Amino acid sequence: MLMRILAKSLARRRSRIAIAVVAVVIGSAVATSLMSVSMDVEDRVAQEFRRYGANLMVVPRSDTIDVGFPGVQLGSVTEQTYINESDIWRIKTIYWRNNVLGFAPFLYQVVGASADGGPEQDVVMAGTYFGRDVAIVEPYSPDDPTVFRTGVQQISPWWHIEGRWIDASDGSAPALAMVGRNVADKLGATIGTTLRVAYRPLVGAEGSVTERALTVVGIVTTDGAEDNQVFVDLGLAQAMTSRPGKMHTVQVSALCTACPVETFADEIEAKIPNVEGRTVKQLVAAEMDTLRMVEGLMLMVTAVALLASALGVLTTMTASVIERRKEIGLMKAVGAERRLIVALFLAEALVIGALGGVAGFVVGVALSQAIGQGVFGTSISLQILVLPVVLGIGIAVAVLASLLPVRRAVGVEPAIVLRGE
Amino acid sequence: MSDVADALISVEGVRKVYGTETTALDGVTLGIEEGSWTNITGPSGSGKTTLLNIIGCLDSPSGGRVVIDGTELTGLGQSELTTFRRENIGLIFQQYHLVPYLTALENVMMAQYFHSVVDEGQARAALERVGLGHRLDHLPAQLSGGEQQRVCIARALINDPKILLADEPTGNLDQRNGRNVLELMEALHREGHTVVVVTHNPDIALMGDRTIEIVDGKVARDTTRKEG
Repeated sequence: MLMRILAKSLARRRSRIAIAVVAVVIGSAVATSLMSVSMDVEDRVAQEFRRYGANLMVVPRSDTIDVGFPGVQLGSVTEQTYINESDIWRIKTIYWRNNVLGFAPFLYQVVGASADGGPEQDVVMAGTYFGRDVAIVEPYSPDDPTVFRTGVQQISPWWHIEGRWIDASDGSAPALAMVGRNVADKLGATIGTTLRVAYRPLVGAEGSVTERALTVVGIVTTDGAEDNQVFVDLGLAQAMTSRPGKMHTVQVSALCTACPVETFADEIEAKIPNVEGRTVKQLVAAEMDTLRMVEGLMLMVTAVALLASALGVLTTMTASVIERRKEIGLMKAVGAERRLIVALFLAEALVIGALGGVAGFVVGVALSQAIGQGVFGTSISLQILVLPVVLGIGIAVAVLASLLPVRRAVGVEPAIVLRGE
Repeated sequence: MSDVADALISVEGVRKVYGTETTALDGVTLGIEEGSWTNITGPSGSGKTTLLNIIGCLDSPSGGRVVIDGTELTGLGQSELTTFRRENIGLIFQQYHLVPYLTALENVMMAQYFHSVVDEGQARAALERVGLGHRLDHLPAQLSGGEQQRVCIARALINDPKILLADEPTGNLDQRNGRNVLELMEALHREGHTVVVVTHNPDIALMGDRTIEIVDGKVARDTTRKEG
């Protein structure tokens, strides 16, 4: 019977209820977009941390290059400077050397590529190490090993590989290639395909046109920039592009719970001349700062919006109680306990909160898309976990804002029905 | 005074003061016998509705004592008064006071719900009894004043209360509808309900066993029409 009274009472006062629902929608929508944006962007940043097995990047000082570093643009190459491959072993000679799990050098070059005689297309070729033994020329301590096996397989063991990794130990590496998933799709390459890569230097650039036929042994899927690259042995890339002993970057995987990764960067900078150590944290700092700023702003807007929602519900419910004084008085006169009156009004608030919460979620998802595109230039994925939270917020706001009106309703004297007020 | 103490409704020295100056009831003492029909009359503002409110457990006196069917009401809390009212008293209002968005049947069922459990069959029977078997699903706005008052009576009856309190039950009705309502109330009285009616209507005054006139918050006249 309570449900029947509730349903009919709500249906009769549709427009008034709609105002309260809209009030809750406003607060819930802003709360939804706040949570969606922060969860999604934080997820994305965390994913980048995870996806990027290395957490430290060594780059030539003053050089900025576009390496497709996950989610980060380093700018374009203006003046090519390189890191000398001959210095790479020094990374393993810092004080925290035992916490350096691995490193891999990268030399990037745009090349023309075709698979099995298909049309040639431009792709980014990345020369790197695939599990190579690096000689530690001057170990930090005489007890340290003098050889360190490292490469992209060591720093990114989680890459999803169809086929196999290139094995650098048997000397076949210079004839092999691993291609990113998107490159494979673009060129129609599969395992065993012969991939022809051609380097054509720009006018005035060093080197000459060189071509190689490589066998594809693995297809790489990382859902990141790697999917658009072709991975070859570093020596091959250096030879093709006439840059012997050079590399653009070194990605370092450093594990340290007792020390900040920044200290690794400082030490590496001290050990290798003209390089800069950048932590992933620093590299995504701008993005995180924007996120924090947007979050702070939205938190404020959410608080204000929820307050506005609460005021909207408070006003509507108060008006409703005043409007229904006689009805409440009658119910009490006919025998309704106070708790029933409380239940009736709180149930009404619950319905308002739930409707407002769900509608607010839908509006908030759209709002978060607009914010995602406008601020972060990316779409925000639907965070279904936000729905129960926003539903809870909507209901809590509506119920809390109804407490005063409910108190007023409970205080209505039943005698009012006889006094004819 | 012993008569008052033994009555079904016993009101002894009841005072009701609103604020600091307005005295609505000033030492009213009366007893109402079980199964009787008592009319309470008096000019507007004399305190008769206040007396009905107190007897109906809708209001508490500022002083004095009220005992109904052996239960001392003085000092009972709101919740206890509500429970007592629900169990023992049926209320009939001048303005009917039906919930506008519930049908005639639902208005009656609502009283059942507040009392104990909803029994639609019983609610139908109550409405059929007051001649509204064909208007069960009508909203109050779709009913005439007389029909609304009959729904109000069905609602008052549904939990089988010992006492029926009516405040100007025919005040808003034309003569024909007023007569129908009074006939209904008379039938209920004959069945053993104790009826207390606040009224200005001289026709009702003629129907009662007894008429108590309240003037300025005091019993000015207490007339018994017939004995036994």
